[in-house]
Amino acid sequence: MDVWGLVLILGTLAASTAGFIWVALQLKGGGGAKKKGDVDFTKQAEVDVEHIFNDEFREELRNRGRLHFEKIIGENAMFLQQDLRLTTSQLNEYMKVEITKKLQEEFAKYEESITDAKQLAIESITKTQEAIEQQRQMMGQQLLQEIANERSRMLKRFEENMADIVNHYVLAAIGDQIDLNDQLEYILSDLEANKDAIIKDLTDGA
Amino acid sequence: MEPNQQIMVLPLGVVGKIDVGRLLREVEGLENFMRQSAIRQPGASQKPPRTSRMLDEIIQTNKLNVLIEADRARLLSFLVQVKAKAPVLHMSFSADPSPLFLQRLMTWLRQEIHPLVLLQVGLQPNIGAGCVLRTTNMYFDFSLKQRFSQKRDVLADKIRGLST
Repeated sequence: MDVWGLVLILGTLAASTAGFIWVALQLKGGGGAKKKGDVDFTKQAEVDVEHIFNDEFREELRNRGRLHFEKIIGENAMFLQQDLRLTTSQLNEYMKVEITKKLQEEFAKYEESITDAKQLAIESITKTQEAIEQQRQMMGQQLLQEIANERSRMLKRFEENMADIVNHYVLAAIGDQIDLNDQLEYILSDLEANKDAIIKDLTDGA
Repeated sequence: MEPNQQIMVLPLGVVGKIDVGRLLREVEGLENFMRQSAIRQPGASQKPPRTSRMLDEIIQTNKLNVLIEADRARLLSFLVQVKAKAPVLHMSFSADPSPLFLQRLMTWLRQEIHPLVLLQVGLQPNIGAGCVLRTTNMYFDFSLKQRFSQKRDVLADKIRGLST
């Protein structure tokens, strides 16, 4: 209840009082002595008003008004408190939502930044891995090439010196067991094969 | 010295010029002894120089009598000719050849190459087996090392076959 309710109550009280006064005047007055009666009635009404609305009645009305005012004030205070609580609750909810939203946005940005940084790091690592892989493949190919070259060099050198190597090996292995007498047949066969050249050189040589 | 001009035979025990030189010194010593004996008074004791087995061999082979001056002169002349003009072969072996080996080798050389051929023996342990022959102008490598070198392709193919 607000001020308008209070005004409505006071208006109702005033109308009731006016009604009582009019009924009292109709019951006392006659038709012949209307003008004289009007003056008396006015004086009588003023007296009755003073009589009806005496201090006690006024005090009673004042108390009632105070009580009613306190009641209205209490109700309004309660409504205000409810509104305040509701507003506080809504404000809390709003703050909560806003803060949550803001935090989510910040988290989203942070997550996006982290994702970008992660993506950059992954790309960098991938490029590094690719470079390392290329380097490894290149080094592997170079190593294989070097190994092949070294193998070829060793094979070539081995083949060039193979006769010496095998001869050395044979000498080391069975050199002590090769008897010169056993070789005589082979030596004579070699000499026989080159006999003409030897004779020619001995006869024609200086 | 042509083979058909020779009048004496060189025994197989005479292998190289060193042997010929040794024979020459022996024959000269013998000749000196004979001359000294001729001018000495008869009845004086004389000790003849000892002859080596090679000298005995060449004397017996050629049926010479060293008491006869002409035979000694022939022998001396022959040896001088041999030392000066006989063809010399240089043969190197991986080990020191035995006398039997040399004898068999000289037999073949004197029969097939030249009756008065001399041999100078060398030592090359690194040739493994076989020999290396050097004449006046030529070089023949009959060594195992040379044989391996000639057959290097075969050896390489065998090694490649084993490695695959």
